[in-house]
Amino acid sequence: MKGEVKKLFYLTERNIKLYFKDKMTFFVSLITPLILLVLFITFLKTTYENTILEIIGDLPLESKLLNAFTGGWLFSSVLSVSCITVAFCSGIMVIDKINRANIDFLVSPIKKSTLQLSYVIANLFSTIIVCLILFAIGLIYLGFVGFYLTFVDIILILVNIFLTSLSGTLFANIIWSFTNSQGVVSGVCTLVSAMYGFVCGAYVPINTMGNTMQTIIGFLPGTYSTILFRQNFLNGVLNQMRKTLPDELVSGIASGFDCTFSMFNKNVSTLAMFLLMVGFVFLVFIILMLISTLKQKRLKHKVKN
Amino acid sequence: MENIIEIKNLKKYFGNVKAVDDISFSVKTGQLFAFLGLNGAGKSTTINILVGVLKKDDGECVINGNPIDQIQKILPDIGIVFQSSILDKKLTVYTNLKYRALMYGLTKTEFSERLKYFCEKLELNDILKKPLEKLSGGQKRKVDIVRALIHKPKILILDEPTTGLDPKTRKLVWSLITELRKNENLTVLLTTHYMEEASIADYVVIIDHGKVATCGTPIYLKNKYANDYLRIYKYNNKIINLLSKSNMDFSKYKKYLEIKFKNTKCAMDFIVNNKNLIEDFEVIKGSMDDVFLAVTGKELKENI
Repeated sequence: MKGEVKKLFYLTERNIKLYFKDKMTFFVSLITPLILLVLFITFLKTTYENTILEIIGDLPLESKLLNAFTGGWLFSSVLSVSCITVAFCSGIMVIDKINRANIDFLVSPIKKSTLQLSYVIANLFSTIIVCLILFAIGLIYLGFVGFYLTFVDIILILVNIFLTSLSGTLFANIIWSFTNSQGVVSGVCTLVSAMYGFVCGAYVPINTMGNTMQTIIGFLPGTYSTILFRQNFLNGVLNQMRKTLPDELVSGIASGFDCTFSMFNKNVSTLAMFLLMVGFVFLVFIILMLISTLKQKRLKHKVKN
Repeated sequence: MENIIEIKNLKKYFGNVKAVDDISFSVKTGQLFAFLGLNGAGKSTTINILVGVLKKDDGECVINGNPIDQIQKILPDIGIVFQSSILDKKLTVYTNLKYRALMYGLTKTEFSERLKYFCEKLELNDILKKPLEKLSGGQKRKVDIVRALIHKPKILILDEPTTGLDPKTRKLVWSLITELRKNENLTVLLTTHYMEEASIADYVVIIDHGKVATCGTPIYLKNKYANDYLRIYKYNNKIINLLSKSNMDFSKYKKYLEIKFKNTKCAMDFIVNNKNLIEDFEVIKGSMDDVFLAVTGKELKENI
């Protein structure tokens, strides 16, 4: 067991080194969310500011609070999307299959589950590093425009980054188990990058969607990750707003901008959302391990030299 | 010597293609065992079954006393060099070898000692810090061979290991293998296109269309399947007339006559009977090329 843990450590280290050695992959992983962020700030920030100003009507609101709210909203969106898209675009498993390095590990005394786990951990590590860089940029940005995050908020955001990245990594690795093609990886990466933001309610507030779409989205775990990010980024600002604005108005802003979520007319609590995320992570982990075991049995029949 | 690899009635089909079709052979501990065959004959498929990359359809494979189904027990004893490098191109030679060694449970000290030994033998010091993608084909091959040997395996499997290597590197590689065979009793199983490599093997199996066409020591195979050649360096017209009258198969070259004989005994008889006509001569055994051609009806060189 001790030997296998060591092997897991070294394999993971090797996978991480490989990812960061490929400067282009790392650069693309980082630059994509940054472009998203610039687009958000350029095109959507004003729209959301106007929406809030419409909600509060003639009541006064500090521009610092307004900027902190839109900034927090934008960064919660970027992070919820990036935790998934970076995970999908930074997998070493497929690169190993393409380069046939997986064959080298197949002829080494390594348990297949150890190898699989090393891919997941390395992928998770790379994703978290990119997301932490984004989070740091977010903190600096909020520091300039208006900072209302508490220490607990920051810890919860970090926990959510970990959970969302883990679910994305596990899900990505399930898909990579079925392909040996760089083309498929690029295709899935592009597809996920383009679609996921809409599906998880990161680009457009869920409340602006139709009822059917809201119900469908309610079944997707990514939605809860986005809402948890929203809550953690915006709770401090909303509490500050409550000091000058009526509670009803602040609650309206909170629900209009997805800081709360209802399913079948029932409010989903923060704890429930967190547990749903944890449950999803466990589910995809079990699926991945099952697929990995089954694929290993089939591989020996299929691989040709 | 006991058998370290035993294969009985091994079969592997890919749909209608019988890649390996009921082959049996065994390899003794410490032996240099050569697998000869054209591309697609089934050599690499057999090797891939031995290392657990492919699963056999039928038959028995036992390596070092363990059936192939218990591949995790077998793998620490095997080092393999595939036809093309499968190491990480972005990582340096040192990093590649370090991670592979650690997978076999070597400590960092053991790895350093082993690496030092190979660096001396294969002149690797200058390339240790270079990424694999920056190396020449020959340098990559040397690294592949070190990767296969880094954990002190009992069996080294070489799938056409010296293809594309310059003569100097090939000599270095074979010198290392010979030393390891002597010092560590390393068993070597190789597939090769080079006849000189097959000729130095202790035992040769020729495989054709997934079946064992023939097997034996190089001398046995040459005696059985190849002709002998008598080269006469100082000759006159008398011997040419004799050869012409006797309808013997001979060729006339600038410096010598070459006469083809069925075997060494026929050549010896000819020399004894015509010793007055022959001053300077040599008898050359048929090559493994001749053996291969006689057994399979195909030229091995054409397929390289």
